[in-house]
Amino acid sequence: MNTFAELICGGADIGRGRIFWISVGIVILLFLFYPTQTSAFRVANVAYYLLNIPLGLGMALLWGYCGVLSFGHVAYFGIAGYLYGIIAGNMSGNSLGPIAGVLGGLMASGLVAGIFGYFVFYARVQKWIIPILTLVLTLLLETFLGQTAGYQWRVGTVLLGGYNGMTGIPWFQIGNLVFDGYSFYYLCLGVVLACYFGLRMLVNSRFGQVVIAIREDELRTELLGYDVRARQWVVFVLSAMLAGLSGLLYVQWGNYITPSQVGLLQAALPVIWTAVGGTTSLLAVVISTYALNWITYTLSSQGNQYAMVIIGALLVVTMLFFPRGIIVMLAEYIGRLMPRRRALKRA
Amino acid sequence: MNSTIILETRSLNKRFGGVVAANNIDFAVRSGEFRCMIGPNGAGKSTLFAMLCGIQRADSGQIFIFGHDVTRMQAFRRVRLGVGLTFQTNRVFHELSVQENLTIPQASANLANNEAGLERLKFALDAFGIDPNDETKAVELTHNRLQWLEIAMVLAGYPTLILLDEPAAGMSSDETSKTATVLKHLNSTGLTIVVVEHDMAFVREVAQTVTILHQGQIFAEGSLTEITSNDEVRKIYLGKA
Repeated sequence: MNTFAELICGGADIGRGRIFWISVGIVILLFLFYPTQTSAFRVANVAYYLLNIPLGLGMALLWGYCGVLSFGHVAYFGIAGYLYGIIAGNMSGNSLGPIAGVLGGLMASGLVAGIFGYFVFYARVQKWIIPILTLVLTLLLETFLGQTAGYQWRVGTVLLGGYNGMTGIPWFQIGNLVFDGYSFYYLCLGVVLACYFGLRMLVNSRFGQVVIAIREDELRTELLGYDVRARQWVVFVLSAMLAGLSGLLYVQWGNYITPSQVGLLQAALPVIWTAVGGTTSLLAVVISTYALNWITYTLSSQGNQYAMVIIGALLVVTMLFFPRGIIVMLAEYIGRLMPRRRALKRA
Repeated sequence: MNSTIILETRSLNKRFGGVVAANNIDFAVRSGEFRCMIGPNGAGKSTLFAMLCGIQRADSGQIFIFGHDVTRMQAFRRVRLGVGLTFQTNRVFHELSVQENLTIPQASANLANNEAGLERLKFALDAFGIDPNDETKAVELTHNRLQWLEIAMVLAGYPTLILLDEPAAGMSSDETSKTATVLKHLNSTGLTIVVVEHDMAFVREVAQTVTILHQGQIFAEGSLTEITSNDEVRKIYLGKA
């Protein structure tokens, strides 16, 4: 059994040592005090950048650590978001509604991923086909949701809304505590920290080590006595539920969701966030997801029509010059410099 | 020899299109044996190994390991019975450290065999000069050390039967001899070993019984002396007129 220190500081993610942890502590403190220094509008924007991080982390876990690329993980983002809207909307006025919505949304995204993943992994579908199948799923979902305009497309009292989407989705609340504005920001920050540290412990655990072994060589891992398909399935479901978590936060952030959230453009984004940061590091993906959402939002809000073109160009540059991801390669470079500096000091 | 049969195939058949890779193979290995399988390229040796460990499904016939009918059993379940396998081209986890390569198999280790298994692992690590705490990435190791690491990885699962596909491939004569010595010692501790090998120097050093495969069939079986003095074998495999 690994100790807590081994799980947190293990080698499956970048970042170790006192300087690293002090830096992490400072960054967390900055985020904690940020709302006291700025406007509610900016706090809401930062909450938006943060809420996408679980989706990016799920993609890193599945693609970077397990070697399975899903090009349609936003399907689970959408499923959880819509389910939350339906459940919480129908239980409007009941303080348990949002909690039921969160549980229902997470369970639905896990269930759909479980069924889909079962057929994909237990049928031993070849790895290069999986991105296509997952993309097809999310495009089918988008097409279906897009044609749900009209009063007949409602669940209970909640209208699905077709391409206009579902509106008036309630905030999350526990008892009388409603998570809106600043409290929603802290909810997002808490979820991101829990997801990051939880996953960091997972990838450094024995389970994580086997998942990495599967990425390296599926057959070798199976011939060491591991049920490879079961582990791929578990990782797929877990990463889908992380996407679902982002979907839940998203619908609470804007109080609406549209089918475009599960469309082609949105499907490509988590793949870009992960590739740009570096698929094999959770921390790199946290940073790149935050940074790329900030860049996209900033460019779009300033009327720049080419935000997505710029993000696409960044992906191309990354693929050409930083194949293991910009942040991962930067960390590798710093790692190579450190022993030299220590050696120079000793000399 | 009175020991129990722990590996057996009955009328095993496998075709790839028009090519017959296994043709009614009846094959048995007893506990504690060191068996070498030789044969010309395309004789069906690797296919037989692939069927034994569950990578390939047999078209017909049966496979028994430790008395269990494993013909339809998943590969990982066969491994859990106490079987280990190395590949013709070594398949260690190249991007992982030596230490990780050795700890990953241990979580699925056959605990029924842990005492003897641990002793064998320690012996092999020591003999091959592998440090179990080495954090060097496997990709940085030389060819022979990769081959040895793969054998050690398999031993880290505490198997009672190991199938080695050309363990000495690409090694120098000294390295081949060292590999043979280590395997012979492991066999002397009760580990059953089945090896596919082309290197006759290696076979001469280790084999108790040799099985010759030819065109998907068992062509001959016996001691090395019996096999090498068989004219038909000399003709098909050793290239003698």
